[in-house]
Amino acid sequence: MTDIQRNHIDLPLLTAVLILMVLSLGVVYSASATWAYEKFGDSDRMLNSHALKILIGIAALFMGMMVKYTAYKKLTKFSLIAAILILAVTLVLGGEVKGATRWLRVGGFGFQPSEFAKFALLFHLCALIAAKGDLIKDFKRGFVPMMIWICSVSLLVMLQPNLSSGAMIILLSCVMLFVSRARILHLLGTLLTVLPLAGLFLMSAPYRVERIRSFITGSSGGNYNYQLWQGIIGFGNGGILGVGPGESKQRDFFLPESYGDFVFSIIGEEYGLLGTAFFLALFLLIMLRGFKIAKYARDDFSRLLAIAITSTITMYALVNAGVTLGILPTTGLPMPFVSYGGSSLVFSSFAVGVLLNISAYTDLHPRAPRMRETVIGPETDEIAVRKVY
Amino acid sequence: MMFARTEKFQPDEKKILREFRTRFLLLKTFFALFFAAVAVRLLNIQVLEAPKYQALARKQYEQRFILPATRGNVYDRNGNVLISNTIFVSFAADPKFVKGHAGEIATRFAQVFGKPRSQYLEKLTAENKRFAWLERRVKPETAKLIRQDKLEGVVVINEPKRIYHYDDLAGPLFGFTDIDNKGISGLELELDEEVRGTNGSIVMQRDGLGRSRPSADYPRVEPVNGRDVTLTLDLTYQAILEEELKRGIKANGADGGLAVMMNPATGEILAVSIFPSLNPNDAYRHNPGEVRNRLVTDLFEPGSVFKIVTAAAAYEYRLTSPETRYNAEGGTWKINLGGKTFRLIKDTHEHDIITFQEAVEVSSNIVMAKVVKSIGPERFYRQARDFGFGIPTGVELPGELRGRLKKPNEWSGTTLQTMSYGYEVAVTPLQIVQAYAAVANKGILMKPYIVSQIRSSDGTVTSEQRPQKIRSVISEETCALLSHAFEGTVERGTAKDVRLQNVRIAGKTGTSRKYVDGKYSTKSYTASFVGYFPVEDPQIVCLVMMDNPRNRGYYGGSTSGPVFRAVAERILNTSSRFSRPTIAQTGKLEEQPEEISVPDVRTLRRNLAKKILETRGLKSQFFGKGDVVVRQSPEPGRKIEQGEIVTLALKNDFTPAAGSSTVIPDVRGMSVRRAMNQLMLDDFDVRVEGSGVVVQQSPAPGQRVKAGATVVLECSPKTVNSASLY
Repeated sequence: MTDIQRNHIDLPLLTAVLILMVLSLGVVYSASATWAYEKFGDSDRMLNSHALKILIGIAALFMGMMVKYTAYKKLTKFSLIAAILILAVTLVLGGEVKGATRWLRVGGFGFQPSEFAKFALLFHLCALIAAKGDLIKDFKRGFVPMMIWICSVSLLVMLQPNLSSGAMIILLSCVMLFVSRARILHLLGTLLTVLPLAGLFLMSAPYRVERIRSFITGSSGGNYNYQLWQGIIGFGNGGILGVGPGESKQRDFFLPESYGDFVFSIIGEEYGLLGTAFFLALFLLIMLRGFKIAKYARDDFSRLLAIAITSTITMYALVNAGVTLGILPTTGLPMPFVSYGGSSLVFSSFAVGVLLNISAYTDLHPRAPRMRETVIGPETDEIAVRKVY
Repeated sequence: MMFARTEKFQPDEKKILREFRTRFLLLKTFFALFFAAVAVRLLNIQVLEAPKYQALARKQYEQRFILPATRGNVYDRNGNVLISNTIFVSFAADPKFVKGHAGEIATRFAQVFGKPRSQYLEKLTAENKRFAWLERRVKPETAKLIRQDKLEGVVVINEPKRIYHYDDLAGPLFGFTDIDNKGISGLELELDEEVRGTNGSIVMQRDGLGRSRPSADYPRVEPVNGRDVTLTLDLTYQAILEEELKRGIKANGADGGLAVMMNPATGEILAVSIFPSLNPNDAYRHNPGEVRNRLVTDLFEPGSVFKIVTAAAAYEYRLTSPETRYNAEGGTWKINLGGKTFRLIKDTHEHDIITFQEAVEVSSNIVMAKVVKSIGPERFYRQARDFGFGIPTGVELPGELRGRLKKPNEWSGTTLQTMSYGYEVAVTPLQIVQAYAAVANKGILMKPYIVSQIRSSDGTVTSEQRPQKIRSVISEETCALLSHAFEGTVERGTAKDVRLQNVRIAGKTGTSRKYVDGKYSTKSYTASFVGYFPVEDPQIVCLVMMDNPRNRGYYGGSTSGPVFRAVAERILNTSSRFSRPTIAQTGKLEEQPEEISVPDVRTLRRNLAKKILETRGLKSQFFGKGDVVVRQSPEPGRKIEQGEIVTLALKNDFTPAAGSSTVIPDVRGMSVRRAMNQLMLDDFDVRVEGSGVVVQQSPAPGQRVKAGATVVLECSPKTVNSASLY
């Protein structure tokens, strides 16, 4: 592959993400104002903080967009090792929030290393798979080395303890292995060995047991179920048209952390089904554009990277929605670009930047008059492969 | 090119491609299903189940507090307050919002009210409850202790409570309310819709931390207080009737009794007395079911008082005259019913040949049975029906029965005879009074009523009841003949005990059996007397019934009769409204017994009051400036010796002109009732907090305020002041 002309980025994707960011300002403000006033005596405090993070996020997005994706090929191993080290350091030194050491403070900023580690792992997996090719079907030389990376990262995250993020890392890694044609047998085998361990881990903390129990039984009681129940009341209270911007009642201390993981409920309450459907549609658009970029990607690495990034964003959005709607057990996962919270926002923005960069090296939006017939022809295998994907 | 760089796996591009495309498609499918699941769930929650969650949300962030309406006052015909309200404080809490400091609240309540702390804690921690009463109707001074603590989450509600100014006076008639101030028996039940008012409400918007503020979405709805009711009752008559009935029951060793007084010309019920009585202020002791207005809910086989129908029909159809003679068969008459069956009719007094007038006077069953034959079933039935028997009177009392008057086609061979002296028929006491009232009212049957006027809380009259003529039952000539016969009954006949010197009384005795569950009780006798006076211009018709009198036999004349006489005597002596013309006409006032009952001269002009007192042999002493008597001492009806002084308080006008200022009297230390009566007489509006004795009043006594101002009385239960004992 020779040097390829850089085309236009995928504008629909960029637009969708920017719309989400801008709307999140309004939603987070509405969801956080009472809490911020209660905690800090300043109803704008959390909005300001969120706005700053969005600015940082946009900067990260443009950074990701500017750097050519091929640059990461060589960097992934180094950054993954760095991520693992940081995770280890966090376990020892990290700040404790609600009984879990998920935060690391660098300078004035605190960030969640798990967010960084997640993308570092996924990027490295893409590089590995692209390099090893069909070796992935080999248990010893392909599957096991990758599982070692996956397990070490996810284990460190789970030990924080942050079970849900660890589980998401495993899930997304498995998605990548699955798409990259790893043997189903290997995946299932791993699952069967990991599940009992995961079960034990689950049982080790009463609050997790309680969450699962209340999810299964649907019974009342327990703070997690209380939050979920309040979240659902929020959705229902919104009805089809919503109660109107800034009119949420649930955020008046009925729905705990209404600005964070349960912000989707506030959207549902204030803007109704129209609002939730619109946000879902934006994520659907992001997924469709992301997979389209993957389809048109010029090489294996960028194709896998596009799938990984798209899957991550989509999976987080869906799991978050699923949790707030009570179809999944309560976990503390943010809604990308919308929930209050910096780390997720900044790394997700960066990842979307990378996705946009990839889009610029496809023929989705050619800079010159479209030369498709001449570039993509039936003559070579290489072109044929790309066309099919 | 993809994944095809190893030696081990031979690149098979097509196979690799197919496998990748399948896996990718599966991933997309997974996401598509995930999206679909979320969308379905959203539709379900936000569209299908939205109303349910909206209600839940509203329940969380809105709380409606009831602002209780005050029930309307009830007055007697002269404007005396019979029933009003006092304000008590109640405490409630929302268990959901006191979670954090339920213990603190429970401890404080336990301290103040001396009840176990666990009792409050249980209420405060009730699951899934949003409202719990902690204490209801607390005395204001106790409430202050809780109020000053400003316990978060505890709601303070001012609750009006009914106050019955005369305790058991007309208690069964008034009935009472439940703890939520809803009428559940008697007039309180019957008039509930009118006096209840409409509760207001205030909607508070609250947040998840339990703090609330008035909701901007809902305006405060002020309560609309209930309507005031003026009854036809006369407080003085009521008091007299109850006192005398009570005395009569005691003297006769009777189980109970009933008396009712009506104005025959209008149908206004002036007094109703039912024993055993009840005190609606202690209503919690009574089961609403056992409180009946026996006046309309109990049925009797009327006995001799029903002879009014026979005599009326006989005179009306000119089938007899007072002088017509009959064979009273020496007290026992055997009627051949055909074949070998006989029917025996007995009289209590044995007579041979007597006139019809005498037959009524001595209450001969035999003569009635003979006369009724000529009347015949149809005419007899119609006559009874016309008198109102078998038809509900329509009086404003709950649970009225119609009685039982069989139609002629249901009669057996002897029914006509039996009915002629009041058996085989069931009537309510009020129906008897109504029928006798018709005779006293020139043959015109009036509808009995007890509610004369209803006014909304701003004073506008919303409904007013005027005397209502039902039908003309008998001619005036018949009335005169009947009155003559009934007067003879009192003068010479079975009701000699009723006779009074100064007034002509007409009436009829009877011994009735109670009609219970379709049967006549054989054990329980009711001795009754029904009559009216003065015969020349009847003002009052009154029925007195006594259950199972034991000491002096069970005849109406000797048991209920004296009660009637005592009542009539006292009314003639006391009632200014009624007795004045009579006194003037009869002019026999010099022959009073030594004990004189004080007449009611309130609202009368100074000179007239003085004159009336003088004619009774009483002296009068005035204080205050003005021309109208507003208060008197001793109270009306009190028996005093001849020559004693009655003190009369004067005022310029009974209703002071608006804008004029008045000095507030000192009512501290008085009972609530007395204080209220005094202040209301002075035309103040009174608001009472608590009950018992007035401990505080505001404005303070001696202050000058505008007429019609509101005086707030703070009361607490009576306590014996030890200092006053020594």
